Amino acid sequence: MADKIWFLIPELILLAGVVVVSVLGLSPRKMLRDCLPAVTIAFLLIACVVTPFLYDSDHVSRFHSVMPMLGKYVNMMVCIVGILLALTSAGLIDRRQEASVQSGRAVFDALRANRGEYYAFFLLSLIGVMLCAHANDLIWLFLALELTSLPTYVMVAMSRPSRLAQEAAVKYFFLGAMASAMFLYGFALLYGSTGTIVLTEMQAVFTQQADSEAGINTLGIVGMLLALLGIFYKIAAAPMHFYAADVYEGAAAPVTAFLAFVPKTAGMLAIIMLLSTMGWFSPSGNLPQPILTMLWMVAVLTMTLGNIGALLQRSVKRMLAYSSIAHSGYMLIGIIAGPAAGGTGIDGLGAVLFYLLAYGIMNTAAFSVLAGLERNGQEIESLEELAGMRMRHGLMAAVIAISAGSLLGFPPLLGFVGKLYLFIAGVNAGQIALVVIAGLNSAISAWYYLSIVRQSIMAQPGPQSEVVVRGEAIWPRCAAFLAALAVIIVPIFSWGLMKAADRVTNSPDQLDLLSETQAYQAVKTDSRNP
Amino acid sequence: MIPALHNLQFLQPKLLPLAMVDHHHADPVAFPIAHAIEAMSWAGWILWLPMISLVLCGACAALRIRNKLPAIITVLSLAGSFFVTLLLYLNYHEPVTIHLFEWFNIAVGDGNSFVAAFSLYVDKLTLLWMLFVTGLSCLIALYASEYMEADLKSGYARFFAGVSVFVFAMSSLVMGDNLLMLYLGWEGVGFASYWLIGYYYQKPSAVAAAKKAFIVNRIGDLGLALGLYLTWHHFGTIQYTEIFAAIQHGVDAEHGETGGWYIKYIPFMLMLGAFGKSAQLPLYVWLPDAMEGPTPVSALIHAATMVTAGVYLLCRMYPLLEALHPLALPTVAWIGGLTALLAATIGMAQFDIKRIMAYSTVSQLGYMFLGVGVMTTYGGAYHVFTHAFFKAVLFLTCGAIMHGFAGQLDLRKVSGLTKMPGWRIVSWTMFYACLCLVGFPYISSGFYSKDMIMAQAFISHGPGFTALGVIALVTALMTAYYTFRVWFRVCLGPVQYEMGDEHHGDDEHGDDHHGHDKPHAPRWAINTTLLIITLGAIASIVLYYTHWGQDMVAGSSAGGGVPSAHHGETHGFWDDPHTWMPWVASITTVVGIIIAWFFHLAKREAADQLKAILLANPIIRWLPTAMENKWYVDELYHAVIRAPLWIGGHILYWLDMNLLDFAIVDGIAHLPRWLGRAFRPLHNGILQSYAVSMAGGIGLVALLVLFMPRILQWLGGGG
Repeated sequence: MADKIWFLIPELILLAGVVVVSVLGLSPRKMLRDCLPAVTIAFLLIACVVTPFLYDSDHVSRFHSVMPMLGKYVNMMVCIVGILLALTSAGLIDRRQEASVQSGRAVFDALRANRGEYYAFFLLSLIGVMLCAHANDLIWLFLALELTSLPTYVMVAMSRPSRLAQEAAVKYFFLGAMASAMFLYGFALLYGSTGTIVLTEMQAVFTQQADSEAGINTLGIVGMLLALLGIFYKIAAAPMHFYAADVYEGAAAPVTAFLAFVPKTAGMLAIIMLLSTMGWFSPSGNLPQPILTMLWMVAVLTMTLGNIGALLQRSVKRMLAYSSIAHSGYMLIGIIAGPAAGGTGIDGLGAVLFYLLAYGIMNTAAFSVLAGLERNGQEIESLEELAGMRMRHGLMAAVIAISAGSLLGFPPLLGFVGKLYLFIAGVNAGQIALVVIAGLNSAISAWYYLSIVRQSIMAQPGPQSEVVVRGEAIWPRCAAFLAALAVIIVPIFSWGLMKAADRVTNSPDQLDLLSETQAYQAVKTDSRNP
Repeated sequence: MIPALHNLQFLQPKLLPLAMVDHHHADPVAFPIAHAIEAMSWAGWILWLPMISLVLCGACAALRIRNKLPAIITVLSLAGSFFVTLLLYLNYHEPVTIHLFEWFNIAVGDGNSFVAAFSLYVDKLTLLWMLFVTGLSCLIALYASEYMEADLKSGYARFFAGVSVFVFAMSSLVMGDNLLMLYLGWEGVGFASYWLIGYYYQKPSAVAAAKKAFIVNRIGDLGLALGLYLTWHHFGTIQYTEIFAAIQHGVDAEHGETGGWYIKYIPFMLMLGAFGKSAQLPLYVWLPDAMEGPTPVSALIHAATMVTAGVYLLCRMYPLLEALHPLALPTVAWIGGLTALLAATIGMAQFDIKRIMAYSTVSQLGYMFLGVGVMTTYGGAYHVFTHAFFKAVLFLTCGAIMHGFAGQLDLRKVSGLTKMPGWRIVSWTMFYACLCLVGFPYISSGFYSKDMIMAQAFISHGPGFTALGVIALVTALMTAYYTFRVWFRVCLGPVQYEMGDEHHGDDEHGDDHHGHDKPHAPRWAINTTLLIITLGAIASIVLYYTHWGQDMVAGSSAGGGVPSAHHGETHGFWDDPHTWMPWVASITTVVGIIIAWFFHLAKREAADQLKAILLANPIIRWLPTAMENKWYVDELYHAVIRAPLWIGGHILYWLDMNLLDFAIVDGIAHLPRWLGRAFRPLHNGILQSYAVSMAGGIGLVALLVLFMPRILQWLGGGG
């Protein structure tokens, strides 16, 4: 038990943060309320810094989980992207109330203040993702997934005072409930077929079944299918993607950025956890055929529907929503490739984890630009409002062009490196057809990503874009700048990061805790002695 | 045994026929190869500091800071880089590679992998280069802080960001431990050069020059990229340590017949890259135009540092050049010698002083290549070192004149600078730098380095090396003439001037001490920089007598090209070129200076008369015209290369518009949109409909999964 708590220290730190921010948010002093984002970021930083010290070999060896090292990478990734997201949403919540308090038209009313709650929910949702990475049984996994999702429903609703946001929240909630029901049903079937809810034990049972004559029992397969399909809701993969465009459009841009990263990460982690019980770490190293077929179809459908959906949009937010769907499709390539990629140094899961980070950063950059500029007091949304941005907001134009280029996978930006790793993993796993389809999809996506670049850089300002001004708070633009900088600079270090992501997914028995240099030496000697 | 064999060639010059040296039989000289060490990763700060400075300058630009903060940041961080380099030099014991972080490690095929770490290879050659690169860039940044102040309102931060990029890239070029890092730096400096040449982006000629530099360099870079690839393909690695180990181990022994036909092309590919970056024939045309950039850039990038990257590459890869093809080094020598001559002839007939300096740079780079080609990497590298200082001074003084005279660069329109108040430092540092450039005996650093190259041309044996020596001497005569033509015209003679048409800096500080029509003398930053760099030029003489330069080159991969300085055995005056060369070269130089003195100081009208006589004579009329028009090389390139490409481009454009775009691309592009419209009704915004679609989708997927084996079977049976 103590060992389990040991790895939950970052989550506990953030939990402390939840308490602090929800209390601070009620403070009648404006200064204290204004420092909420800073407090949130401070707690995220502490959690991030603490994480690497927890994963020493001693504790890890006593931690029973399908992937004991997963938490290290995930915690740090979630904290880093979380910091960017917190910056992006600074100054968003309660803007109208705060303005009227400021001007003396109203007095501060703790009952009507939402800011503290927003950041509390924000942190709770991130805690959910971290817990996903530490799950070792289905109940825990389910609760962690719900902990990730439930706060997001509220965040969507409170993100801006408009009916669109309310409608989006309701849609998101109802469809989310339906999806949860589905994967819970799948979990029940999994329990039924194995007699256990503990993932490591389930792994043992499935391995045993796979070795036997009859193979994995059908109940287990059906359970897994249902569980995966339910979880696809979280990552917005077809056929569970319908909500995405409406919800992303309805929520304010910072929350949309949050939705595109946080539930998606949780969902991907859950998928990795579930699939690792079935096949990946067995002697054959392959997923059962029906699961593979389903993943393959879903991947193709998701990226294709996402990309062609995005083609028709004039609203940048809807476009990015569809692009988010497409990116889930790309990531599924890594899931299909799986962890065993034949010693080439790039495995599917590592590529997925790397891509999650890359997507989190570049997507946040794009949405921060939308959040940082406004027209008539509303954040900008449509392509027309981007026109000629270079003239008036040069830096933001550069950022949105860079992030669009990165989302497209333009070398040498971060998105390119991420996609490259995914594709290499796919090719290594023999999924040539899938990679070709993904490549075609990338080509299609160039159409709409480049139209963002063209609008913001090359087009002349139009009547709609001439009235676009900088938002009140500088923080979203800071987040945009930082994220764009990361998009340019991180590729230089991508190989080290990829190695870090890679080492995470090693199964317990091949777990190596070599230091960075030792691993480097090992790789070098490998390459010298073919 | 191995060094002994190598020396034998020099000991018995008369016994060997005057033909090319057969390098296949001469074993490459053993030199120390670096080994990896764990510590000293602080050396990485040489690269990180300019990077940080870049980010900060970018931030200054973004925050619209309008003071000298970017200059201060850049100068401090470059000074930091210089001190780290110095520290590295003081801590240096033997060649080492310092691992910074892992960069590329890609498995290719079975067992092969493409490994390129972000590591530093530090041997004495690296240090030689880094010392002057970081030192000079720091000083020139200081100079630029004053020079560029007219642009405080617009591009100041942009300029210094460009300088920071350049130093970062140049450091990674010189310090990288593999060809890929060199390539990164190579492209990085190319990019920085493009950035800074095109600094005045509202001036069409600057934009054209930037494009020209970038595009001409692309040709060379193609060669380098191919060379890199072939090197990897042949040696299985692009890390210097491993390549050198393979070479020392004996290329023939290991790879011999199986090495592949392409192995002998590797040196030529690398060479092409070097010719492009260092502005050698046939790719030199970009460098004179590159003078469109601000003068500090010309001094730093296009005279002192970046253009020597090609020489660095050849020195670094010297074992490879020596071992892989017998004609590799002679090619380098001939290209270098011819470039030196051609550029000098053009330089004699120009009037724009900055352009003359540009051609003299091309010419001096030719000397460096000649040095490497005739197997004195020491001479080549030492000339790089001395040239860096005096050419920087020359450009900076030109810049000071341009700055002070509102962009006036025509040597016919400024005269008597020594007699104007406040110009003393400029004119006398320029005088000393001119002496160095022409190689004035004993008191100038250029004398020692240039002599070494010219003498070696008479010593080494290769196809026509003696002829090259003569060419080099003729070039030295021309150099002396055109260099002092500038100095006598601009600095001596009666005081008269005509201001240029650029309102350079006037609107900034014009209101307090001068107007548009008066020259303004440089202030402390420019003068200090000039003095320090001149001192550096003087100091590099001392380095010759202490054998420092020789020691620096000998202990590196270019060590194969350091002949033992004075090899006894010879008796008479004419037997050893090292004995007579100083005299011959001195006489040549003095004759050149006297001619320049006569035509451009004593009797200035005589020059015009001579020109008139030449032009009047129908037989030799073409000569001065062709020289003034740069031998029509640009026009030739335009006719032979640009025009056909332009026509081809337009044909392809037409095909693209009418065939590809209209018929194919638009058709295909519309397909996904039609598909999108087909799916649109599903996204109708109604909650219930979404739920049904989701359920339906799940049902569909389930059915497909269930029947997939049968579908596959059916497909298999049907097909």
